[in-house]
Amino acid sequence: MKGRTADSTGARTDSTQARQAAQSFEELFLENWSSIYRLLVRMTGDPAEAEDLALETFFRFHRQPPKGGENYNPGGWLYRVATNLGLRSIRSFKRREQYEIAAGKDALGEAPENRPAQIFENKEEQRLAQLALAKMNPRRAEILVMRYSGMAYKEIAKTLHLSPTSIGPLLLRAEREFEKTYRGLVQEQS
Amino acid sequence: MNKHLKDGELRAALDGELDGAGLRHLESCSVCKMRKEVIQAQIQPTARGLSFLNAPVQTNGPAAKTALNRFHIRINTQKEIFMFKKLLPSPLLRIGLAILLILAVVFSIPSTRALAGQFLNLFRVQQVVVVPIDSTGMQQLTGNSTLGKQVSDLISSSVTTQQKPGSPVTVADAATASQQAGFRVRVPQAMTPTRISVEGAGAFTIKVDVAKAQALLNEAGRSDLVLPSSINGEDVSVTIPASVSVAFGTCPDPAAPDTTNGFSSNGSAGRQYPDCVILAEVPTPTVSAPADLNISQLAQIGLEFTGMTSQQAAAFTQTVDWTSTLVIPLPKNAATYQQVTVDGVTGTLIQRPADDAPQYVLVWVKNGIIYAISSLGTNSQQAIQMANSLQ
Repeated sequence: MKGRTADSTGARTDSTQARQAAQSFEELFLENWSSIYRLLVRMTGDPAEAEDLALETFFRFHRQPPKGGENYNPGGWLYRVATNLGLRSIRSFKRREQYEIAAGKDALGEAPENRPAQIFENKEEQRLAQLALAKMNPRRAEILVMRYSGMAYKEIAKTLHLSPTSIGPLLLRAEREFEKTYRGLVQEQS
Repeated sequence: MNKHLKDGELRAALDGELDGAGLRHLESCSVCKMRKEVIQAQIQPTARGLSFLNAPVQTNGPAAKTALNRFHIRINTQKEIFMFKKLLPSPLLRIGLAILLILAVVFSIPSTRALAGQFLNLFRVQQVVVVPIDSTGMQQLTGNSTLGKQVSDLISSSVTTQQKPGSPVTVADAATASQQAGFRVRVPQAMTPTRISVEGAGAFTIKVDVAKAQALLNEAGRSDLVLPSSINGEDVSVTIPASVSVAFGTCPDPAAPDTTNGFSSNGSAGRQYPDCVILAEVPTPTVSAPADLNISQLAQIGLEFTGMTSQQAAAFTQTVDWTSTLVIPLPKNAATYQQVTVDGVTGTLIQRPADDAPQYVLVWVKNGIIYAISSLGTNSQQAIQMANSLQ
């Protein structure tokens, strides 16, 4: 009887914890959905793909949340996972191919008649920038995406578990690699 | 600070992220100022190239609450799919699940039961019926790791595989597939398959350990469902003939392992294979069992476990001609279904709301062959047209 009482108390505690966890997950989702989705739209250029990847980001959190403790940073964790999923997506040839077609169509649809060439030039630059990100060292691509999507050094450092003073040198190295890769792609194209 | 700043520090200064001492040095050092300008010029192309990462987004996308609802729908669907995969780890057993419900079936027919003591070829499937089930009971079994392990152990100890189907083998054309599979393979008119594969026949036997199975039901909180002791040790044999899969468009390789473990592995499957349509053909499986086995009673228990009241379960068994019906249990949240006329018979079109698994499956039975057309796309009309053009 004593054992049964202990078991049922344990079960109640488990159930309360599960409810609290579900609630805090929902809060986290509502708080971060918009920024994660927007990041992925910018990265992939494809709203449907971005939604898939954003849902996948939260699914990964739901399935295996990051450990607590003093470095607990769920927002940063989500941002990092989303960044990597976005990079993986633009590395996929098919995804890029679909994006290129979609980007071309969108550009034509939205372009004022007198400047389609400029629109295509911008889209082409963006496409090459995506290809360069896809080709370069993944860690450096990750830091570039974080910085150029607007994260402060402290946030990047916290997310990547680095010292804030190391971000400047790492970023510069990443920018140099990006520039070299981008230039290589431009040469390949011409 | 007399030492000149390093490039990394100057880079941080460009973003306004340099600390106080570094900033003070920079203000008074012309060498560092000049170097900073050089670095600024160096990173300019990168800043321009990556400006799209901070550009205004044209689309707002789904609101957070809408997205959360979609997330929950996907999670529930995923759970149900995983649950069946966990309970029935082998594809052979997954097919067997549908067949087990048919067993319910056949043994409830008095004329069949009269043939006591014999092993019988039990049925010839002529139509398909879907049973919507509530998977809460099964989730209790699979969601609890201890219970889940016990379920796996019970299935492993109860099932003996006599014949493994092996990996699918790609063949050149429908004629070769017909020869290898042993039945006439039909393909849609005016469509060229991208791959035709043949999977060998499979066979397994189930022997129930009633004490273990009852213990699991009790653990899952369903001690009200009592398994009859008469089923203990009884053998049920299932034989599934060789099957053929005909793919159109770009489809996943049937011989490749299933590595999907989330919503998407590289973008969702539906987006990776948007034009993939697969037509599967398999002759009716054969089930043999002792005729004195009261499978009807077992089916009643199974249906109750999946959410029906005992009255509903009893009523359901009476509305279906069990001798000729393939029963597909379908978790309520996973899909919707409707009856359609195809290939001159009545078929069932099952559609999933999520886009990371087959969006639709059209199933029908004709002349002893079970046909299924599935696709990751959304155009289920295409499946109906294909079915109607089979030759």
